[in-house]
Amino acid sequence: MTELSDELLVAYVDGQLERKQSRAVERVLEQDDVIARRVHALKDAHSRFEAAFEAVLAGEETIVEPSPEPPGPGIFIAWRNAAKVGLAGAGLVVALVLAIAGYGWPLVLPNFAGNRSDTAEVEWTGSLPATWQDDVVHAQTLLSRETLSVSPEGQANQDLIGFQLAQAIGPGLKLPDLKSEGFRFMRGQLLRAGDEPVAQVLYLGASGAPLALYAKKGEGAADRVFKSYREIGSVSWSEDGIVYLLAGELNGPRLTQLAETIKAQADAPKPSALNAVVSVSAPPPPPPPRPPAKR
Amino acid sequence: MQAEEFHHSIRPGLVIMLPRLMRFADLLVGEREEGTALLRRALQRMLAEEHRYSHGVALDVWAFGEIYRHWLGELRDHVNPMGQANIEDESFARLFGEEGEEIDMITASFIGNLPPQQRLTLLLVYGERLDHADAGRVLDVPPDTIAVRLVRITAAFADRLGSYEDEGGMVEAFYPEEPRVS
Repeated sequence: MTELSDELLVAYVDGQLERKQSRAVERVLEQDDVIARRVHALKDAHSRFEAAFEAVLAGEETIVEPSPEPPGPGIFIAWRNAAKVGLAGAGLVVALVLAIAGYGWPLVLPNFAGNRSDTAEVEWTGSLPATWQDDVVHAQTLLSRETLSVSPEGQANQDLIGFQLAQAIGPGLKLPDLKSEGFRFMRGQLLRAGDEPVAQVLYLGASGAPLALYAKKGEGAADRVFKSYREIGSVSWSEDGIVYLLAGELNGPRLTQLAETIKAQADAPKPSALNAVVSVSAPPPPPPPRPPAKR
Repeated sequence: MQAEEFHHSIRPGLVIMLPRLMRFADLLVGEREEGTALLRRALQRMLAEEHRYSHGVALDVWAFGEIYRHWLGELRDHVNPMGQANIEDESFARLFGEEGEEIDMITASFIGNLPPQQRLTLLLVYGERLDHADAGRVLDVPPDTIAVRLVRITAAFADRLGSYEDEGGMVEAFYPEEPRVS
């Protein structure tokens, strides 16, 4: 029988050995049933620990869980789960949430509903998606048939895209030119929030992730509100019956500056070509796509 | 609060991590109600003294360490620190699943009978998947100590599982038809 220490076998089971060392252990396992049984038992122990801790986390997540369709700001504790841990326990969880919330600043997320509260509540947030599949499924809920209806051929024509998006969102929609800020218009498309359309306009800077401007019909606070979700920052504001959200991997001051530029363009007296097009009550059919502009 | 201040605040990160922090605190004290109360006290302190957090340090490692140190501080201040280590099997098992759910009672019981520091060692490495250095930072011990604890605990549990298998009926006794937790 080969002598292999538990230290070595646990490191093997935990995946902490070099590839060469792992192969050496595997060769021993093929020839030594006693060691193989020991490794099997250690793997069993390892996987039971992992499963047990996952089970505990699942229980915690059901106590502090987001409502599937949050009616407004706040972290939601499902009543059925609050009942599970008992009234005292639930009260402590509420107190716990409020202990953080009481400091006032919300976390995250586009407040497209425009129902921002000025109270000290923490706005709705969910726990982090566990897997990339969760992330992708969340993204899928934003897609609709209209997502594919915005002319892909005309993406180089900002006016045309603006026109198509304004038809869905409203004539007040502004498609800002951010070249002066170092961001090129790349494309626009329609997403959805529930049954309502949301325009998404994407810009690209010299480096880094895209900057996105979202717009949706609705009323909200006119003042800019900065929020952050993990590495994504966002600024939202409302104007002319449209709620805007500017989001990107930028810090608060930079996003706020970009939002200022967008607002300044909107307030400029000279109407943009887009606004001129969409101001007619019965818009003509969209013009054919223009060839891409020379750069 | 201005946007710049918010950008550097630890609050959003703490809220996002809340379920993980709750798991940590619950397993530390061995019971959900007490764990939540401990976490509340620790969070209040973290938020009041958030300047102590150094940007660049992983927030989860820092927050876990703060909860652990807060617990340790309270334990030291207690008139009967030894009495604080006792946890009830039923309350502890409830952390692993609610009534009617299938609970791995062998594992729950084994973890419940470990000292808190060893429970946390398991949680940080197998539950949080921290490396030994970060787990050591949380528990204020060298990485080698984490490695040694893991070997001892895992080997002991493997022995326990082996003894159940050898004794046949023992396994059934630990898997009654009805969960032991009521």
